[in-house]
Amino acid sequence: MNKKQSMLFGLVRGAAAILIALLVTTLLIFICADTPDGASFGAAFSAKLTQTGGALRQLLIGPAFRSNGSISTKNLSDVLASMIPTIFTGLATCVMFSANQFNLGAEGGIMLGAFAGALGAIYLDLPAGILPVVCVLIAAAAVGAMMLIPAVLKAKLGVSEMVNSLMLNYVVMYLIKYLLNTHLADKSKGQVQSYPFQADAAIPQLIDNGSKLSWGFIVALVFVVLTTLFMYRTRWGYAIRMIGINQDFAMYSGMKVGGIVILSQVLGGVLAGMGGGIEMLGRYTAFSWSALPGYGWTGITVAILAGNNPAFVPFAAFFMAYLDKGCNLMSTYSGVPAQLIDIIQALIFLFFAAEQFLSRYRQHLVVRNTQEELAQKAAQAEGSVK
Amino acid sequence: MLLERIFTTDFFFSVLRITAPILFATLGAVIGEKAGISNIGLEGIMMISALFGSLTAYWTGSWATGVLLALLVGVIVALLMGFFSFNLKTDIILTGVAVNMIGSGGTLFLVKVITQATEGSALASTTSLITKNLQVPAVNIPLLKDIPILGDILSGHSVLTYLAFFLVFITWVLLYKTPLGLNIRSVGENPNAAASVGVSVLRVKYIAIGLSGAMAGLGGAYMSMYYAMGWSLDMVAGRGFIALAAQAMGAGEPFGSMVAALIFGLAQALGIKVSSLGADSNLVSPIPYLVTILGLVVFALVGRSRAKQRHSAAALQAAAAK
Repeated sequence: MNKKQSMLFGLVRGAAAILIALLVTTLLIFICADTPDGASFGAAFSAKLTQTGGALRQLLIGPAFRSNGSISTKNLSDVLASMIPTIFTGLATCVMFSANQFNLGAEGGIMLGAFAGALGAIYLDLPAGILPVVCVLIAAAAVGAMMLIPAVLKAKLGVSEMVNSLMLNYVVMYLIKYLLNTHLADKSKGQVQSYPFQADAAIPQLIDNGSKLSWGFIVALVFVVLTTLFMYRTRWGYAIRMIGINQDFAMYSGMKVGGIVILSQVLGGVLAGMGGGIEMLGRYTAFSWSALPGYGWTGITVAILAGNNPAFVPFAAFFMAYLDKGCNLMSTYSGVPAQLIDIIQALIFLFFAAEQFLSRYRQHLVVRNTQEELAQKAAQAEGSVK
Repeated sequence: MLLERIFTTDFFFSVLRITAPILFATLGAVIGEKAGISNIGLEGIMMISALFGSLTAYWTGSWATGVLLALLVGVIVALLMGFFSFNLKTDIILTGVAVNMIGSGGTLFLVKVITQATEGSALASTTSLITKNLQVPAVNIPLLKDIPILGDILSGHSVLTYLAFFLVFITWVLLYKTPLGLNIRSVGENPNAAASVGVSVLRVKYIAIGLSGAMAGLGGAYMSMYYAMGWSLDMVAGRGFIALAAQAMGAGEPFGSMVAALIFGLAQALGIKVSSLGADSNLVSPIPYLVTILGLVVFALVGRSRAKQRHSAAALQAAAAK
């Protein structure tokens, strides 16, 4: 298969994965839809159909258009704003998974980053322009340091980075909850939260319509470019991808595998931490997260959809954010719970990551292609004989 | 004395109670890993089984049906994981991540749909559905219960708790004393070699992941029908992940992994006890997770020095032979 065909195949495959997920979604929504009491089977069926149609409309079109057909800037800016943390966790996951390091600590990482950024925003005494930058850097450094634990243990002792990073997520969550409930709690507030951030620490908004679309979005896009350049245009990025493809080969060709294993995970941590810090300072005025936010897991989906290529992360993040918003709208306007997003996400995820999904179709394409080429060659040969 | 207040018979009783669900999942991890399958979906399977187990118990009014269905659901989810990862070649770790996604948000969706609970998103649960008579019953073991101290610790547990520890033995028998076990181990060690002597690798892998899911299903039933009264969001709280660590610490052997699971149970029981004596629960809750990391490190260090010893012993022998 030539490049164009394999890209086409990739597209068809992606579309098929999404289509299957949407079909299952439709079925689930249909099952959830209420039936009027005492209605005949036919009436109940048609009532369910209309409800399903309405819910699907909210899910698929709601985030972009109002009910009268005009474009909804508020909903769209909500979608863009919610992409900020998942772009960062998506990038982090891309870097770590590219090196075949199944570190699942982006979830704890983004919470620690948010917390570290929040601490800076509350207690650091710095001039206005510098404060948010320093806070985000502190967040990045904190999570980079956190990732040293699974990374070094993996590189030096061969301990599974997956189990360790999962355990760290819980440790981080409980320690933050402890600090938030005791030493750092603002006791004057009814709910558990930290003292308010200094006004100077806030990351300025791009559009001031309540969507919380901050300059962090631009920073996220810049980091998409930087990460892509790093992964495909530097020697370290090459090394990271190489140990992901064939660790033994990388080792025998003289790469320091241990160092690269550590590098990839620390970089992932830095990206996740930065995302946490930016999300906190761009959206909130005090720290009040009491549970893991889930951005780390969405980040994994984003990375899978992007095929571990940082350049595709914003598109994947947009897609997930759009569906998430759609699910929220749907749960507001119809009785379908918003957690449907987790099922959709898992389905898309499974089919996208499935190497053999539609492999028969691929095989078919390859065979046809080869046959055509052979026929062409035969025709040419005949021509030259004559 | 503080120690006397902590290490009571009640405390050791609770260690066994807390260990049981981790042990179920650990056995699931052991069987999976023996066949070369890293099943990180144990966590999600436990959540899903916990939900369906508690719902079935409520509908049928029988705890036994609930437990059976939880087991069945565990097997079905695991076989689906198998389909995706063996037939469609999705990485098994990613398949596990997907199952865990369904296990956290997806179960909440199902609860809301099935029970029509609409109140605040985090509040939907089945805690009101499981009543005392639907709980997995506790049994007093005759003779044993009359022995002082030991009787207080070992008797009076639920049927499932005993089953968990009994399954350790069964798993060992399965893996080391049956043809199926031999096949599972050979597939895990070298699938090509197994295939070359006529073992159907795919079939063995499906059986292994199905058994692994059955264990996690029982663990889920334990969580929602004995450990807690009903299902609630994120109730499994990483036990499926801790099980993976226990498996690694036990070097993948049923009895070793049981000891590791007991250590985690002990750490968690200690945490609960200490917090009941007035320590901050947020400070003691991370203890089992920290113990897991420490345990893995210690295990790796021990394994390393042993390998070194063996290496130098072999070198010495070689030198002596010359």
